[in-house]
Amino acid sequence: MSSILSKKVHSLKFINSFQTGILALFVISTLLILVTSITLGSFNFSLQELLNDSNSLDNIVLLEIRIPRVLLAAFVGASLGLSGASLQGLFRNPLADPGLIGVSAGAALGASIVIVLGSGILPDFIFGTLILPISAIIGASLVISLLYLFTQGFGYQGITYMLLVGIAVNAFASVGIGILTYISTDSELRGLTFWTMGSFGGASWQLIIPALIIISLTMFWMIPSARKLDLLQLGEPEAYRLGVDVRKLKFKVIIASAITVGISVSLSGMIGFVGLVVPHLVRLIGGVNHNYLLPGSAFLGASLMMTADLLSRTLIQPAELPVGLITSAIGAPFFLWLIFRIRKT
Amino acid sequence: MRFFLISIISIFMNLSWSDCSMAKDSSKTVIAGGSLTEVVYFLEQEEKIIGVDITSNFPPATSELPSIGYVRALSTEGILSLKPSLILGEDDMGPPLVVEQLSLTGLDVRILEEDHTSIGILRKIECLSEVLNTKSKDTLSKIDLIKDDINYLNELAQENKESGIKVMLILNMQGTSPIVAGNGTSGDGFIKMTGASNAANKFEGWKPISSESIISYNPDYIIITNRGMNSFPDIESLASTTSLKFTNAAREGKILNEDGMAMLGFGTRTVSTAIKFAKIFSK
Repeated sequence: MSSILSKKVHSLKFINSFQTGILALFVISTLLILVTSITLGSFNFSLQELLNDSNSLDNIVLLEIRIPRVLLAAFVGASLGLSGASLQGLFRNPLADPGLIGVSAGAALGASIVIVLGSGILPDFIFGTLILPISAIIGASLVISLLYLFTQGFGYQGITYMLLVGIAVNAFASVGIGILTYISTDSELRGLTFWTMGSFGGASWQLIIPALIIISLTMFWMIPSARKLDLLQLGEPEAYRLGVDVRKLKFKVIIASAITVGISVSLSGMIGFVGLVVPHLVRLIGGVNHNYLLPGSAFLGASLMMTADLLSRTLIQPAELPVGLITSAIGAPFFLWLIFRIRKT
Repeated sequence: MRFFLISIISIFMNLSWSDCSMAKDSSKTVIAGGSLTEVVYFLEQEEKIIGVDITSNFPPATSELPSIGYVRALSTEGILSLKPSLILGEDDMGPPLVVEQLSLTGLDVRILEEDHTSIGILRKIECLSEVLNTKSKDTLSKIDLIKDDINYLNELAQENKESGIKVMLILNMQGTSPIVAGNGTSGDGFIKMTGASNAANKFEGWKPISSESIISYNPDYIIITNRGMNSFPDIESLASTTSLKFTNAAREGKILNEDGMAMLGFGTRTVSTAIKFAKIFSK
């Protein structure tokens, strides 16, 4: 029995050449979409203006508005894809998604507090436009701490317990948002509504540079856990016997997801379905081992998010559609198909 | 973290709130806010408009202009792609990050404060005529006409104040409970312009109200927006809904409907609509 297990483990350890090829394709397509997204948009650049006058409107739009926005979309997509894939692995549940552990709800509550109460309590000049993302990050961190407390350092046996805590946290946050919705004025209410539909419209270098650094560091910290996640698929006791510190793994995956998702939601609002759908697409294309799945989900997540953002910027230009609408419009039918498929097998 | 703090400190707002000085170049103006568009058309400066938001739906000719989206969900790049020289916005123009980005590009961004009174409307008109530099005799006399209208409205309002009429304004019906204008809303401002008092004065904002509190408010008149009327075949069927039928207004058939933006937009039309209602209330 043990020899079979170790053989299986051994074969999972490596990433096969087919998967390496696919990963290379993902990287190339991400770069292509990155370049396309930077070139396309409602504002048409003239190459002459760009090269001749470094203070022209063309340069400002390209460097201060377009590029930060596309980069933010890419990183948010990557973090949602990656944390979706690792949470699905950790919970051994194909329907797990970054929203499940309640972190996005916590961030949303933090943001809603600023949108509804902020203007009354804080004068604008204190934090200016940064107060919303900061408050959202505080909301997300509070949820992580709550999860940590209730699961006794994520060590509690059994993943169901964690899921139930996540559901309770989600319910609590939506009550908070509900109360804020009720007391909000007309214009705050509309601000709230648009925030929950997601947008990369507010990306500026000041906002995104710290975020991009934290997100990349967290990703590099998380991806090496891929093989442990493979072992975890055999079940918690089995993984433990094969030498995986399950408690530490849980801690790592949940903290890393919470950080990346918390920051993503804080900067771009609620963007549905990417964390759920992307890992499934990557699995369908090339297989289930996490050494392939985690980086694959990050790159595909980035590509899809940049594409969704490109559509949101260009479909009804010069106006723009909330990007969450586009991802959900694509994600929801896919989700239905997924449920249908699971029921059949 | 230090970087983060530095970037926090380095952000400051450099917007012109209610700055009514003449714009350097207003030949290519983008407008976010229906009332401002209405006023610019009133001042006959519409040839300067190159884009409007979707709340700018009056006069109907605005539908031919490029749409920059909803006033609270604008896109920096979309607006810049029109290459505007001036941006006029109502105070709920947003999101804040987009407004900040626009002003950082060095564009002339003017945000006009909203004040739900007839003086507020007059100030808006005068401010825009300064910004757009409209000094022709025609426009000045038009502004005088609006001033006369406002004086006339104030006289009517004074009479109505003495008779103590209570009015309730409904945005639309959510199921059977109406969304009603509470304190601090544009609806509240509109009712007060006519001299009547807002029957629903015990809460802030637009809120769904229970049948019981509507009976306790017992308005003499009920105004509903045309959009809210859409879900009813006629005024009688609206009056017979459980939430409204025990009010004085419903019993005496004093339920009126009107275009929402004409009342609540606080552009030029709001004055004439308020006069119309003030006359009805004083009967």
